Amino acid sequence: MSASTTLSVRGLTQNFGDRTALDDVSFEVRPGRLTGFVGGNGAGKTTTMRAIVGVLTPDAGDVTFGDLPMTLGVRRTIGYMPEERGLYPKMKVLEQLVFLGRIFGVDKDVARERAAQLLEDFGLSDRADDVLHTLSLGNQQRVQVAAALIHDPALLVLDEPFSGLDPNAMDAMSVRLRERASAGVPVLFSSHQLDLVEKLCDDIVLIHEGRVVATGEVRALREERAGRRFRVQVDGVADWRPNLGGVSVITTEADGTTVELADDADPQELLAAAQQAGPIGHFGRVLPTLADLFAEVSR
Amino acid sequence: MSTTANRSDLVRTIAGREISVKLHDKGFIASTVVFLVVIVVATVLPALLQGGTPSYTVGVTQGAQSEAEIAQQLGGLNDDERPADVPAADITLVDVASVDEGFADEDVDAVLTVDGQDAVLSGRASMPGELLTLVTIAHAQTVIGAVATEAGLDADQLATLTAPPAPQVVLADPPPDFAVPPQLVIIVFGFLFYFSVLTFGMSIAQSVVEEKQSRVVELLVAAVPIRWLLSGKVLGNAVLAISQVAIIIGAGLIGASVTGASDVIGQVAGVSGWFLAFFVVGFLMLACLWAVAGSLASRIEDLQSTTLYMQIVVMVPFFAAVLIQDDTPLQRVLSYFPLTAPLLMPARMIQGTAAGWEPWVAMALVLLTAAILIVVGARLYAGSVLNTSQRSHVRSAWVQGAGA
Repeated sequence: MSASTTLSVRGLTQNFGDRTALDDVSFEVRPGRLTGFVGGNGAGKTTTMRAIVGVLTPDAGDVTFGDLPMTLGVRRTIGYMPEERGLYPKMKVLEQLVFLGRIFGVDKDVARERAAQLLEDFGLSDRADDVLHTLSLGNQQRVQVAAALIHDPALLVLDEPFSGLDPNAMDAMSVRLRERASAGVPVLFSSHQLDLVEKLCDDIVLIHEGRVVATGEVRALREERAGRRFRVQVDGVADWRPNLGGVSVITTEADGTTVELADDADPQELLAAAQQAGPIGHFGRVLPTLADLFAEVSR
Repeated sequence: MSTTANRSDLVRTIAGREISVKLHDKGFIASTVVFLVVIVVATVLPALLQGGTPSYTVGVTQGAQSEAEIAQQLGGLNDDERPADVPAADITLVDVASVDEGFADEDVDAVLTVDGQDAVLSGRASMPGELLTLVTIAHAQTVIGAVATEAGLDADQLATLTAPPAPQVVLADPPPDFAVPPQLVIIVFGFLFYFSVLTFGMSIAQSVVEEKQSRVVELLVAAVPIRWLLSGKVLGNAVLAISQVAIIIGAGLIGASVTGASDVIGQVAGVSGWFLAFFVVGFLMLACLWAVAGSLASRIEDLQSTTLYMQIVVMVPFFAAVLIQDDTPLQRVLSYFPLTAPLLMPARMIQGTAAGWEPWVAMALVLLTAAILIVVGARLYAGSVLNTSQRSHVRSAWVQGAGA
């Protein structure tokens, strides 16, 4: 993938009155990769996304896509799904997608074909001629995603695309996003479902109180933040507690004992102590989950 | 996918949606149909009720034939031959032996008996005025004829005596010859415009707030410049408003032509052009402000209060046009004031009190105001349309709209 289709966000700053919503937010969304945008309520995810698609003009900072500034022409290549959704409630589903396609400059016939295909992909073919507000919220959500894809976008910016979906729909949505990413499209989506982001995403951007606190590959971030925490399972000893200097026990559970090593403590000594207690079932460094990371930064 | 945005395509696509939504709106279709029916009924019904020349069947007894024939002939004269005070009537004569025999026939409206100089016109419950007048004239002519013949006058002298030449009337300052009172035309046009501007103005405001409330606007603004979005909305509704007014006026004119009221067509068609021209410019002048009334609201429920001033702005010209119909300085001033000019200037033209250059000046003033209000409206719209969370205020919209 060429670097020319990377979305770069640099130094975004936005104040709403006295409140700082974004404080020097910078990150990249690389082509071909699913990037999860994670943060608590009011952390600045939606404001950042609105600034990316040009609905909001930030006080400072800039956004480029493939080294190009976000002019109207560039913005029109984005597939955007706003946080609060946005479709005409009284318009028929297919008609609506065709209209939005035409808004994005897709020829009418092509838009009709694509809309039909997208509805089929999302299992909504039989609802094509129904008025939108007669659909369930989950189905409306799928139409919303279809609307973001109708012009075959070069960049996807989706605010909470998974919220309100049942597990099957979530799987289907994951497949769609992965598909787009594999086609070389940079995909940025926000979510509160950290386990899902951890499973699905290649990269994450972690934002807290308007500031980016972590960004990069999910795996690398977890490694980087792993610290000196180990889980040891000694077969036959359910409640093993090492008695070593610089080793403090965090928890003892059925799947083993989790300990934190002081900077000067040696993991090999811990292993040796465990072997003396009995046969080793598991010995390894504990990587924090995304939820752990999230809890750590938002503390 | 095209990355370059084509302004006219986008504006047309947005306008097309506005039109399509409205054309699928049953309420809108119903109100247009009702309006058409009212107009057609209003033009056709009076003609049907007045129903042209009345017709009567008159029983004629022995000795009344000559009076009856003269009356029949007078009533049947063409409009241009018939003297001014002689009414038109289509009279059928039936010979009867007596009054009672005559009334035995249900078709007979009256029976005429003449005995020397005494004539009796017998009727049933009442006597139609036209019939009485015609028989009176006919009987007088017969009596005068008989007396004149006795006095030895020849045929020419007799003709002069029974049909004295009427003076020709010449007016130094004739008022315009109106088929319909101009007041009525002004009220009809005034109401039509009031109705249309209100309908489509509200429609613009509603369409804007609907997009805000459903948050579609965020999707649209990401891909379309705000001002193009506004242009599309205004264009779509303007096309609908103008078409509706044109169709209704057309229906009225067709109705008038079907009933043969060609003088009405001449009178109304002559001023329709100016009325329509002022309507188009007047509508565009206010259209962006209607959009602002919509974008200041955040929910449909807010429209009631945000469109209040607009409703007044539309009502004032209507009442001004209806109530101020005399050629006063106030009417003259208001016919240049941009808000009231679109109705009052054509009203003065139809009354014949405006000089030829006056509508052009008024039109220029309305156009100038329209240009200013469109710029102001577009800025306020841009400054408030993305504020979906709460009602906006004009001042903050103005500030926000500076960069948008």
